[in-house]
Order: sequence, then structure tokens, then C-alpha cells
Amino acid sequence: MSLVPGMGIVRGMGLTLRRFFAPKATIKWPEQQADVAPKFRGRLQLLYDEYGTLKCETCFQCAQACPIECIDMGGIDTKGRFHVHWGPPETYGERREESAIRRSGRPVADAAFRRFDPIDTAALDAILERHDYDPMAMLAILEETQAEYGYLPVGALKHISRITGAWYAMIYGTATYYRHLRFEPPTVDAAPAGEAHRAIEHAYRSALDASLGVGGRAG
Amino acid sequence: MGAFLSTPKAWPAVLTGRVAALASDPGDLDAAVRAGAFEGLRVAVRDLGATGTIATVASSGLRGRGGAGFPAGEKWRAAANGPAGTRYVVANGYGADPAVRTDATLMAADPWIVVEGLAIAAFAIGATEAIIAVRAEDTALVTRLEGAILAAEEAGYLGDDMLGSGHGVTITVRPVQGAYMLGEETVLLKALEGKRGQPEQRPPFPTERGLFGMPTVVNNVQTLAAVPFIVRDRGAAFSAIGAPGSPGTILVQLRGPEGAGIAEVPLGTPLRELVKLAGGIGSRSLKALLVGGPTGGLLPADLLDTPYDFDSLRAVGAHIGSGSVVIADDRACVVDLARLLTKFSADEACGKTIPCRIGLRRLYEIGDRVASGRPKPTDMALMADLAADVVASGLCDHERLATLPFTSGMRYFRSELDDHLLRSTCPAGVCHPIAVGAGASTPGSR
Repeated sequence: MSLVPGMGIVRGMGLTLRRFFAPKATIKWPEQQADVAPKFRGRLQLLYDEYGTLKCETCFQCAQACPIECIDMGGIDTKGRFHVHWGPPETYGERREESAIRRSGRPVADAAFRRFDPIDTAALDAILERHDYDPMAMLAILEETQAEYGYLPVGALKHISRITGAWYAMIYGTATYYRHLRFEPPTVDAAPAGEAHRAIEHAYRSALDASLGVGGRAG
Repeated sequence: MGAFLSTPKAWPAVLTGRVAALASDPGDLDAAVRAGAFEGLRVAVRDLGATGTIATVASSGLRGRGGAGFPAGEKWRAAANGPAGTRYVVANGYGADPAVRTDATLMAADPWIVVEGLAIAAFAIGATEAIIAVRAEDTALVTRLEGAILAAEEAGYLGDDMLGSGHGVTITVRPVQGAYMLGEETVLLKALEGKRGQPEQRPPFPTERGLFGMPTVVNNVQTLAAVPFIVRDRGAAFSAIGAPGSPGTILVQLRGPEGAGIAEVPLGTPLRELVKLAGGIGSRSLKALLVGGPTGGLLPADLLDTPYDFDSLRAVGAHIGSGSVVIADDRACVVDLARLLTKFSADEACGKTIPCRIGLRRLYEIGDRVASGRPKPTDMALMADLAADVVASGLCDHERLATLPFTSGMRYFRSELDDHLLRSTCPAGVCHPIAVGAGASTPGSR
């Protein structure tokens, strides 16, 4: 308002002078402790190493420790196959994505969030009966289920869990561990036994040969 | 399947003695019996009895051929002394190393020797269930073993009343697949139980609490195949073969620039002889021997006189492992080879323990940046530290031994590692390091 020359700088310096004598936010840590909420754990940050690779191991220790469950993450497992989550995998994606859509204001399309495709369990029941509903034969049950359906549908795993009493998490763990068990329909029909692992082993053998300069393959 | 290399006549044939007699049809029970099959079982059942059989195996000094070299007699005794109830014997014929076919070749050429060894083991420890675990992709082998077991049952060697002993044993063939770690005994037991294949903390050992919580003896196929020979001669002839601390013979998968194949060699044979069996080294000079498969150690040419047995190899930083001996000439680069092996071990790790899951991965990454010309000055010390930590905190032998390619490489090929680390050059010309010195930024091969 005022048109007096130099008034702006006087006002600015006045603010500086007031702040100069005001109490400070800086404290002499660690002699002095800041007054923060006991749950406060600092700023969340994902770190990269000097080559630009994400340092996070997806070990979920942070997600496990988080008291208000604000940390989630998704990734692929060590076999490069499947998304991993903290929490029950079959509900996780649904919860996350649905809430994200709701917050964006769009209507939630129910059909897209069916938990899993329903399957015809008659063949699966026959397999389970053959094994006497015994969880100790789980690997054979899973292999035969895969032979029947072509892959392991989530519905089949749920059904096996409900009928045999084995925990879904245990069945899921077994099914993700072995390379020949898959969760998607196969891209080639009727892969022979051991095919899933053989590709990796063949890659190892040829890499070994190449690095040794050995041409032929052993017996 | 006549894949066995011919060895000098003076070398004893404990495992492959019947292979020639069965060459026309390995599934022929009569031919096998004429060649001496099930004689050991008869001696064990009629003359020795269960405790006598265990004592004979223990006194022969037979050590497990699965790699660790644990005395088989002690294992059997521990299982036999356990509480009464169901007991299991498992023949581990998975043969995890993708470049090694020794166990499968032996079982295909002479299925009877494994079946007989398994029957003797089951009789000795009082097991009623015996399992042969083989690779699922060997469908022909599964059929052959099942046929052999059926024929032996019909002839009265196996089944409810083994040779009139009153002891019954059921042998089943279980095809397993899908993971490298199935070669480890507790992992194999997990797979047979239908769980995910991750090793268990020991103790309790499987001999105390194994398959389905019952006392279980897990022996390698070759260990069991040596048992009939031991029992037949009451152990004396067996102890005379091989090195004092590790008697007997072992199948070795040889692989070199001039030839490859499987040979039965007495333990304690110098590595030089093994190189000769594989056809020598050709016109080039020998650089390194990779002894023990993907987790094996790299040994230099001046250790060629090392005897091939459990203790001597451990002392120089290698191990029997899968029974593989790979001969590398001067075209191979030690850093590149160790990087490849560590990557395989890290990829195949089951992920149960952190030193294995993350430690081996980091070890590979450090080796990778050394091989690709981006090393840090502290990388040698870092690798040594990391390897020592992984070994100290490991759960199973996989991770403890998976550090061997790099640790033995650092021990014996220090100058080659220094070339990579300090001068960013690869003497063998395998790696393509980028010249990082003097501000150069263009990639160069040397």
C-alpha cells in the first residue's frame, strides 16, 4: 500500500529480526530428545544402490512390523513367476484394487473382482478319494490335479484345502516351490515330465560348456 | 547305456561288476542272479542277522556317497536303535547336479544292485518301507526299477517274507521333480511328504525323526550299491580298496576337452589319473579342475597329486559332491566360471535362510561386477567376508559349499583375480571388462 521507498526491505528485515529472537525448532539431538509420537518411525524411503538397482529385498519385514499396516508391496517371487504379497494372497489384490477404485470415485465392477474362477470339482473329488483325502500325499494330489485341469486353479487349491484340512498357505507354498507346478494354463500342450526344470538345467550345462570351451555333452 | 569308461584291469569293480553280464538286458533277473545278485542279501539274512549286518557295514568303513561322507554304519545303527515303529529307508537317486548322470546310469545298467542294497538296509534297521527316489523325467528308469522290484518280489527276494527271514519290506519307486535342492536328504524327505522342499535344522537327524516323523535312513544309491559287496565278503575285501579314511570305489562323472564319461574309481586315486581317464588335456595346458559339481572347488594344476577322497579334497578346498570332475584348460577364466557356478547355486537356493537367499545372490553380484570390469577396490575382502559369513550361518550344505568356487578361486588363482580387480583385464580373454582406468569410457575387450 505504502509507496515509501525502502519500506519493503524494512518489513522483510523486521520478519528476520522477529524470527531471530523467536524459539528455534532445531534441537541438540541426542542430548535433547524430540517430542514425537512413539509410533513414529521416520520417513519411508526406497533406496537404490550405486548401479540403480532397488535395494529392497521384498522381505516384508517392514510390512510385518508396521503397526498401522500402511506398508504393502507387490513383486515377483524368486522363480520370477508370481506376485507376492504380505497377507492372504487371495484377498490382497482385491482389497487393494477395489479400494483404489472406490477412492477414485468410479463404480466398482463386481464381476472383475470374483475371487477365482469356479471349477468343476468332480474330477478333483475323484483324485482326492483315490488318495484317501490324505494331506501326506499332497504332491501327488497336486500333480494329478494339474494333469486333470492343465494347471492349478485357485479354486482347486481352495477345494483341496477345505476337503483335506491342510492349510491353504501350506498347499500354496508347496505349489509355488516346485517348478513343474503352474498356476496358469500351459502355453504348449502336454509338456513331458521334468520339462520345467530341464530348461534351467540345460541352460546351466551349455553355459558350463561354453565357459570351459568344451564342445561335446557327457553321456 | 554302456556309458562307463574302461578303467585299468587292476582297479576293483564294486559297483559296476555286473554291468557287463547284464549288458544285453539289465532287467533279466536270472542273468543277474547267475552273476551274483541277492547273494549279499542271503548272507545278511541267513548268517549275519540284523545287528551283524550293521556291524559288518560299520567295520567296513563305508561312507555315504551323497557328498558329505557320513559313515553309513553309524547312520544305520542310529536308526536301528530308535524307538520301535515304522521305519523307512530312502535311496536318494535324484542326482541333483544337471551335468552328472552317475546314479541314474548305474541304476539303469544294474537295477538289482540298488534293490538288493536297499533290501539289506531295510532288513538291518528293521524298516518295512523302502523308497527309491528318482528323477521323474527318467520314465524308462522308473519302469525298469518297478519291473525289477516286481520280479524280485515274485522270486521271493523281497515282499512279505524276505528269503524266509520273516521280515517284510515294500519297495516303492517315487518319481520326484521340480527342484535342484531335492538332492539334499531332508529336502527329499519333505518332497516325499508333499511339502515344500526346504531343509530342516539338524539335530534331530532323519535317523531319529525323518519321513512322517519316523526314523529314516537316507542313503545315496551308490552307498546302497556297495552294501551287497561288503556283506558278501564280510567287509574285509572292501576295506582293502581305496584310501584308509575312505574305503571303496565311487562313480565319477568326468568331463574334459578331450573326452567325457562315467568311470568307477577307487577312492584315493590321484586327480592326475582321473584326468588321464578323461582323455588327458590335449595340446593345451591344464588350468583348473572343478571338483564337486556346481558347489565344487577349483583346484590348480599343481594339486594334481591330491587323492580323490573325502578328507583330502576337503583339506584343499573342494569336495566329492556330486562326483563330477571337470577339466578346464587355459581357455577358461576362473572368475567367469566361479560366477556361473555361484549364479546357479543362488538361482536354485530354496530361500529358507537369509545367508543363502541373499548372501549367495550378493556373492554372485560382486563376482559379476568383477568379471564385467566394474570392480571396487575392496571387493576381494568383501567376497571373503561374505563367504565366511555364509559358511558360518548356513543351514544346509548347499549354502556352505556354494561359496567354494569363489573361495578356492581366491585361494589358488589370486593373480587372475588381481588382473580382474586391479587392471580390469582377463588373462583368458573370456570376460570383456570395460577399461575403467585413465578416464576411458569405451568398452574394450582387453
